[in-house]
Amino acid sequence: MEDRGGNDVPASIPSGEQMVWADVSPLIAAACNDLHDGELIHGENFNLFAAMSALEIMDPKMDSGMERNGFHSIEEAIENGAAPIPLSLDRTVDVQRCIDVMDHLLSCEATWHRGHSLAQTVFSCIYLLRIERTSTHPLLHSYCRIMRSTCDVVITAVSDARTHEEEDFFTTACSLPLKGDGDEKCLSLLNSVEETLSRQLRACKAQASRKKLCDDIGSLQTYPDLEEGYCRAVLCRLRFRKHFYHALVCMRKPQGRGLELAKKHVMSCLSELGSMSKSVEFLRSNAGGPSDGEIECRTTASGKQPFGFDANINSRLSAPTPPRAIQILSWKQAIEFFEKLLNDLDAIFSLPLDLSLENILQFLVQFQKSQPDLVARAHLQLLLVQDGKLYGKYPFHVVISRALVLPEGTSDQAFQENEFVVQLGQLTINLIKILCTNNAWQRRKLGKILQDWGVISIQLELAFRREFDEMFKVSADEILFTRLSKRLLVWAEEKTYWIASRFLLLGFQLELYSPKEYCMVYWYMYVIFVNLLEKMQMRISYPVDDWRSRCVMKRMIIVKKVFIFFVLVVKLSINALSRIILPKTFCIPLFLQYVNKREHDGNIGYMFKTFTFQLARRKGKKKRDLAKDVGSESGVCASSSCMLLQCYVYISEGLTMMLAALHNERQIFQISSPFNSEHERFIQHFELLQRANVPPHISYHLFMESTTHNVVKHNYFREVQRILASLRGSFSGDSTKLLELHQLEQVIEHNRIALSVIDKVGASDPSLDIRFEFQHHPFFPTVPFKIFEKIHFFWLKRNGSFAFQGFYFFNIILANACYNYCSLSMIVNFYRTAIHIAEGFCGNFFFFFEKLYLFDEIALFSIAQCQKEMLDKTLHKKVAIAISYNVTCWVTCSILPSY
Amino acid sequence: MEGETASDPIADGSPPVSRMRKLLFRRMLVGVKDGRFFLGSFHCIDKQGNIILQDAVEYRSIRRSPQSPMEQRCLGIILIPAACRSSCHVDCSINEQMSLLSISR
Repeated sequence: MEDRGGNDVPASIPSGEQMVWADVSPLIAAACNDLHDGELIHGENFNLFAAMSALEIMDPKMDSGMERNGFHSIEEAIENGAAPIPLSLDRTVDVQRCIDVMDHLLSCEATWHRGHSLAQTVFSCIYLLRIERTSTHPLLHSYCRIMRSTCDVVITAVSDARTHEEEDFFTTACSLPLKGDGDEKCLSLLNSVEETLSRQLRACKAQASRKKLCDDIGSLQTYPDLEEGYCRAVLCRLRFRKHFYHALVCMRKPQGRGLELAKKHVMSCLSELGSMSKSVEFLRSNAGGPSDGEIECRTTASGKQPFGFDANINSRLSAPTPPRAIQILSWKQAIEFFEKLLNDLDAIFSLPLDLSLENILQFLVQFQKSQPDLVARAHLQLLLVQDGKLYGKYPFHVVISRALVLPEGTSDQAFQENEFVVQLGQLTINLIKILCTNNAWQRRKLGKILQDWGVISIQLELAFRREFDEMFKVSADEILFTRLSKRLLVWAEEKTYWIASRFLLLGFQLELYSPKEYCMVYWYMYVIFVNLLEKMQMRISYPVDDWRSRCVMKRMIIVKKVFIFFVLVVKLSINALSRIILPKTFCIPLFLQYVNKREHDGNIGYMFKTFTFQLARRKGKKKRDLAKDVGSESGVCASSSCMLLQCYVYISEGLTMMLAALHNERQIFQISSPFNSEHERFIQHFELLQRANVPPHISYHLFMESTTHNVVKHNYFREVQRILASLRGSFSGDSTKLLELHQLEQVIEHNRIALSVIDKVGASDPSLDIRFEFQHHPFFPTVPFKIFEKIHFFWLKRNGSFAFQGFYFFNIILANACYNYCSLSMIVNFYRTAIHIAEGFCGNFFFFFEKLYLFDEIALFSIAQCQKEMLDKTLHKKVAIAISYNVTCWVTCSILPSY
Repeated sequence: MEGETASDPIADGSPPVSRMRKLLFRRMLVGVKDGRFFLGSFHCIDKQGNIILQDAVEYRSIRRSPQSPMEQRCLGIILIPAACRSSCHVDCSINEQMSLLSISR
């Protein structure tokens, strides 16, 4: 190998005309000898930065073309017998090896779907690269053909969906033989092989019953005893391929017409996967492969190394970028991967084809929770958006008009041609496409499109104002049109806030926030949710009745005249007042700003309302029953989704308040980094939202202003509990919503208690060890329970009375047992010990009522929890009695002092 | 031949260094130990003999046999460490070749 270059340059590399290749090695040696350390010979255009990015040859991590003692080319590999056909002259071994090839190809395919290059995964198979060679081996040939066609179908789907930008390697198939003559016949080939095999399988069964051997030419291999097992193993692999291919093709049928059929094929695929898993035992026992320990990471069911694969043979086909190390998934992982993929596809098929836009967005969010892979997401997107129409059926102006519930009499033509509707349709298409990408990419893109939505909202608002000003002199028909732009505006704004909320929530899934930033994140979430709720309620409360709306418009015109007069008076008086009153009084600048902004805004009734609302919020006297308020106003009962949103508002607000109080009181969760300040982090997190002006007039200073308090005055979590209880009924049929409610309840329950403990002990208590965990809900954390142990013992030290201690031990153990979710028997044992201790100490515990009631909430909660479990299993009577005795004690404890 | 160039190495340098400098931007063909060749314009060399080529093309033989045909692909800017360099040629006229050879001896 060494010095092959030597002095002779290969003839195939030509020198210039009338030039020769002169050996300069001696000159180089001499020159290097004369150079000083660190000195370079270079031209004037030398750039150190460019030089740093040079690919280093013969560095295994950078040089993809490096020779790794493998074959130089496919031809050479074939000549050296790396991929023999047939795979062995012994027909049994031939079948075994053929199955190994199939299994390894499946693992390669799964690895490819995970984002590795096709050349290094599926096309590391030499049989697949030279498919014509396999034509004498029908089994292998049919499998390779359908494999190649499947890859082609998948690549087409992913590139059509244009989701591949995120998974960079997926569709790179440069110079790979993806298509060839006769690929369209792959199914008929496969079917004929399958037919032969199933006939053989039937024959085997018949033979087994007759106990008679007959040497059939159609047999798969030479041992009659093994025939049935091999037939089954091969058949399930072939059938899986067939159904998978069918499912992929059916899914591409326009307007979701093939979904029914695709669903059936996916079901068959899943059952074939099951049979494949079952074939492991048989294959392994006959293969004589490695021991069980090693087998887990093997890429084939039999555990043997497959024939005909060379991962490096294609390395020269890949781009000259540094090669990626690829770990092919094990066969077991590949099976799991395909199970997940098929289940994700199945979820797509169960999507009804007449969903409203709202429901589609919800479905997308729900679908993304399981983090589906690229192929499933690409297919979902292709199903939803076809030819610029929803499901290929409904143009997007129809989708929007449905979402708006347009008043009767609006001309369809006019609506369709409205430039805003066209633009909004385009934005909606983009939104759906973005929601089909992976989480990280999705968040990035959502942040970017927020600006587009912001811009269109501003345009709509301008259009609406213009129309409203002209409204004094126009006919009723045009009023209708005006109302259309207002509706569009509210709808667009609602969607904008929805995108913003999704943007912020995705940050949790991607683990972008540190606990120190939770306060600002929840604060921003709170602001976004409040705005979203506001818009949602406006949309819902819009009167659908046409006649009523005209009356409202007339009334509004009168109100507007009055209001303009009012604004003038106020402006004048404020100007006069501002000389007297200190400029710091925030109401006045706020009001002026508000008046200036909304002066020409049409919806005056709303304007008064929001103004009072904002003012009240600024003063800290937040309007609490917003949902109820609007409900009574418009006669439209607050819908359940509004109420759920209201829960989010309260939870985020509650968490913000809690964090802010902790922050201010205890200096924990404070950002003290030498690299950036809190303000800078605020900008880093919310820059995209701020740039899109979502929501308007929100700044870091406002955040600082609203989180200066030390005490949490209002228990928001209790509010949420109230709402959640009433929500349960309205979601009774919807399992995902019920799960969400359950999760929220858990969060609330834990945080409410944590809050009251922190409140009573005082946040400055050094024994508090406050951490946040997302064990109950993906976005809202809970304060885990270990803190209570510490509190109790700290309390003990301070109030070291024996009886008190006894009673306390009882409850500490109880609380810990419950909260740390010990097994039931452990709780019972804890109880026994606790009762003994308590009996010893608590002779006179009434004396300590006054102090004990502090922890009523913890105790009640823990007891309730424990009781539930106990009663379920009807355990120890004494324990049950003790519990109820304890409950009465606690109740008395908590009631007595208040008298 | 050595030591005298310390006063102003960049301007003059020893005769080999200045001759080497004249080769900058010329077509250079470097063979490496695994049998591949890289053809590109000579961009830079350091004391250790590591060479940077610009607009490099990789040539590799398809088979193990010495007379096998070559296939090629473009790589851009590459660094060839001295340790793996097995040959180095420059594209030049016959006259120039003579002078280069005479110097190296």
